[in-house]
Amino acid sequence: MLVSWKWLQDYVSLPMSPDELVERLSMAGLNYEDRKAVGDDLQVDLEVTSNRPDCLGHIGVAREVSVLWQTELRSPPPQPAEAGPPVTELTKVAIECPHLCFRYTARVLQGVRIGPSPHWLADRLATIGIPAINNVVDVTNYVMMECGQPLHAFDFAKLAGPQIIVREARPGELFEAINHKTYPLEPGMCVIADAQRAVALGGVMGGADTEVSDATADVLIEAADFAPLSIRTTARKLTLHSPSSYRFERSVDPVGVDWASRRCCELILQLGGGRLAQGVIAVGQGTPIREPIVLRLSQLPRVLGIEIPAEEVQRILTALGCQPAAQDTRSVTVVPPSWRRDLTREIDLVEEVARVYGYERIPEDVGVPMAPSHRSHEDRVLGKVRQVLLCAGFDEAITASVVPEELAAVFSPWTEAPPLQTSTPMLKGADRLRQSLIPSLLEARRVNESLGNPVIELFETARVFLPVQGDLPGEQGTLGIVSGGDYYHVKGVIEAVLAALRPGTPLEALDTRQPLLDAVKSSELRVQGRPLGYLGELSAAGLQQAGLRSSATVAELSLPVLVDLANLIPKYAEQSPYPAIERDLNLIVDESVRWASLAETVGQSVGECLERVRYQEIYRDPKKDGAGKKRLLFSITLRSRQRTLTNEEADQIRQQVVAACHQAHGAVLLGA
Amino acid sequence: MGKSMALADFTKQLDALATEAVRAFDSAATAEALEGARVEFLGAKQGRLKAAQKGMGTIDKSDRPAAGKRFNEVKEQIESAFKAASERLAAAPVAAVKQGPQFDPTVPGTPFRIGRLHPITQTVEELKDIMGRLGFSVADGPEVEDEWHNFEALNIPREHPARDPLDNFYLATAAAATGGKTGLLRSQTSTVQIRVMEQAPPPVRIICLGRVYRPDTADATHYPMFHQMEGLLIDTQVTMADLKSVLRLFATSYLGRDVHIRFRPSFFPFTEPSVEADFHWDGQWIEFGGAGMVDPNVLKAVGYDPEKYIGFAFGLGVERLCMRRHGITDIREFYKNDVRFLHQF
Repeated sequence: MLVSWKWLQDYVSLPMSPDELVERLSMAGLNYEDRKAVGDDLQVDLEVTSNRPDCLGHIGVAREVSVLWQTELRSPPPQPAEAGPPVTELTKVAIECPHLCFRYTARVLQGVRIGPSPHWLADRLATIGIPAINNVVDVTNYVMMECGQPLHAFDFAKLAGPQIIVREARPGELFEAINHKTYPLEPGMCVIADAQRAVALGGVMGGADTEVSDATADVLIEAADFAPLSIRTTARKLTLHSPSSYRFERSVDPVGVDWASRRCCELILQLGGGRLAQGVIAVGQGTPIREPIVLRLSQLPRVLGIEIPAEEVQRILTALGCQPAAQDTRSVTVVPPSWRRDLTREIDLVEEVARVYGYERIPEDVGVPMAPSHRSHEDRVLGKVRQVLLCAGFDEAITASVVPEELAAVFSPWTEAPPLQTSTPMLKGADRLRQSLIPSLLEARRVNESLGNPVIELFETARVFLPVQGDLPGEQGTLGIVSGGDYYHVKGVIEAVLAALRPGTPLEALDTRQPLLDAVKSSELRVQGRPLGYLGELSAAGLQQAGLRSSATVAELSLPVLVDLANLIPKYAEQSPYPAIERDLNLIVDESVRWASLAETVGQSVGECLERVRYQEIYRDPKKDGAGKKRLLFSITLRSRQRTLTNEEADQIRQQVVAACHQAHGAVLLGA
Repeated sequence: MGKSMALADFTKQLDALATEAVRAFDSAATAEALEGARVEFLGAKQGRLKAAQKGMGTIDKSDRPAAGKRFNEVKEQIESAFKAASERLAAAPVAAVKQGPQFDPTVPGTPFRIGRLHPITQTVEELKDIMGRLGFSVADGPEVEDEWHNFEALNIPREHPARDPLDNFYLATAAAATGGKTGLLRSQTSTVQIRVMEQAPPPVRIICLGRVYRPDTADATHYPMFHQMEGLLIDTQVTMADLKSVLRLFATSYLGRDVHIRFRPSFFPFTEPSVEADFHWDGQWIEFGGAGMVDPNVLKAVGYDPEKYIGFAFGLGVERLCMRRHGITDIREFYKNDVRFLHQF
């Protein structure tokens, strides 16, 4: 809301400096934005919150000043002389869409001399950035900026027939506005029409056909009240925002409609002469009756934490325009003014009293009672997971939850359902709720590659959105990893995560087929029999699809599974006091024998003295071992809880292991 | 029967040994050479001093005390010569005494890469930490919400402009597919307040942090996805003075020194009174975020009696806080994930 310093003084005296004024207004709800000199006047820009349309006119701002400085508010009582014929003989108004237009008033002025506005008026409009057009149009703008009620003047002679019809726009109806652009209208929009066509888009903009020009002699002054939501939708749909639509969107004072109409006519008579027809045509709803609101004085300390004297409460509310209805020692009852539709409840009055009394009087050092807080299991687990990844050299990325369709389709291991779609794209072309973090992380990797960054190790923890028939989607916390390392490197990181959460948890790797991933170097991962996620190196085609130059490995894990398995408060277990003894093995097996199954056999054959089986490497020597064979090198660590194992016992166990592996897997000890 | 040795001969032998040993230790140029000399003269089993000591058994009994005394003197002389040589070699620069490949302590250590948490996460963790100390536990809720939790229960009725389809990411899915619920990406974390209050009676003392979504065109200060922190305290006696004091404790903790809080009136559907909270820092007032007393309609919506319970709520943008702290000038940097950017924090 742009305010003219000089204009404001019509309604309230301003003994304070502009600095003082804007500071105090900011602290009372009219946030100061900016100011600048215009001619010999000062333009002040104040931000008005959407609940305070009463401050979208100079009188409203002046009222705030008068309340804060406890000075008199001077609001002019418009009393235009009515010298013409009865208005009912000149025109009629019908509202066909009472849901879009609550009330409509029309007054008619005849024989008006159209011409330029006097300097005082043109200057005031210039201060707040409104160009002068002619005296009639300028007066409508002036009164709008005075009281916040938009007005429109029609060239009465250009209306087809004497009747104004307020109706819903027809499908396909075209309308040329004052800005000489033509807009396609649709039902739900409110038009002001004559017998033939729409002559104004109600509450948004007048029409080119009936605008007041130098040739105009008779004018019809419209002051109305349109449905806020419809005005807003219309203005947005047509991208046609005006000071008028801005005010109607926020509601106007129902009582102020007629005041503005009279004020407008009074000024036109003053500036352009002519005769005002007698009376007004006013159709639509009557002005709503406001219910009294009881403010219990005890609510002030209850909400604000401070006491405010009853007489101060009464003074503030009265100055704001509330009518005192009753008062006793414990409460104040008032009827709020018509221009304050935001005041309907006790708490609304508490806020009014508080903001005028001053929030700076509320202390900032009261003793707030202590309370315990706790960190959830999920949060702690997530913290541990992140810690391991940071130690493994991974940087945390944050990528957008909504992705383009082609990215969403690239990789979706958690669901086969098509991704959910938003009705508005988030970023260019991005309108799918992602079902995997991998495509976004691959994109981040691509960006880093293109910047020539040498080490690109990224992870992200975020939710993926899995559609659920008949409900909001499932949101699964997910850990995504994209690395320049190979399968085993990333697998090692995942194993480290598991070890941090619950030591000794085996990670199972099952064969899988996933788009993007290498057919062989990819796995579905499981822990404790539950699906944990996916791991794999990108295939050549996958790399190409992701636009990557160098090899990459991805993994995606379910956080809920990690959360469930995490044991954050491990129980103490007594350690054997006897020393461990280690034995190395080098077994020749068929290529098809997998480590996991061999290791299981090893474990079973050792029995209770097994502390661990440590994989070392796979070695191939086809000349010595024959084709299709490989050597599995590993060691076993043995320890008894009862005594020190002897070398002979260890050798014996090693023999058992060799025998069992031979039996189960055809393994042969190297050199045997 | 061994031949007995005269004291004079024994002494002469000892003196020769001492002279030889001292020369060997003094001339040792390397630790290896010194060790060789040590083994030769002071070796516990085969050392020449040890051998000399054995000679003492052949000395006439009457001369033995004198021989023993002389032996001890020589032993001390040799040992101190060894000690001096050891110290001399330990103090000498390696390069001065060693030939061949040399150790270079100026070569960088073995590279060890530690990753970085995203600066937004670092900020979020700090906020959680501070609020945790102030007795607020973290609560969580879905990012795809229904209209009840995102609007209705927060006192944002159907005709409110905040519900405009153009200002929200509604799901395009047919209503039937979501059980008649219209889903949307939450536009604020206040949704979690509703979920928490629906599930538990007062007192409530929580914060919620997370992603929120609003259709803004991405530029230096806007991004259609960002993070919010929202705090909520509901109890039987809670006032705006408590709100101001908690925000002051928070800001003082975050900034590390005493700050002051200012309230400016504002408007939010879910609080009444509503304020913008500012903190005074470095001589100026800085916008902190929105706050206010929870609107009685919100309390009613979750089944709390507004005559019995009262509380405050506040919210702030995590990106803005993080940008201010680190001097980041473009919000889009957060979501590019350039590892050079990430490694700055």
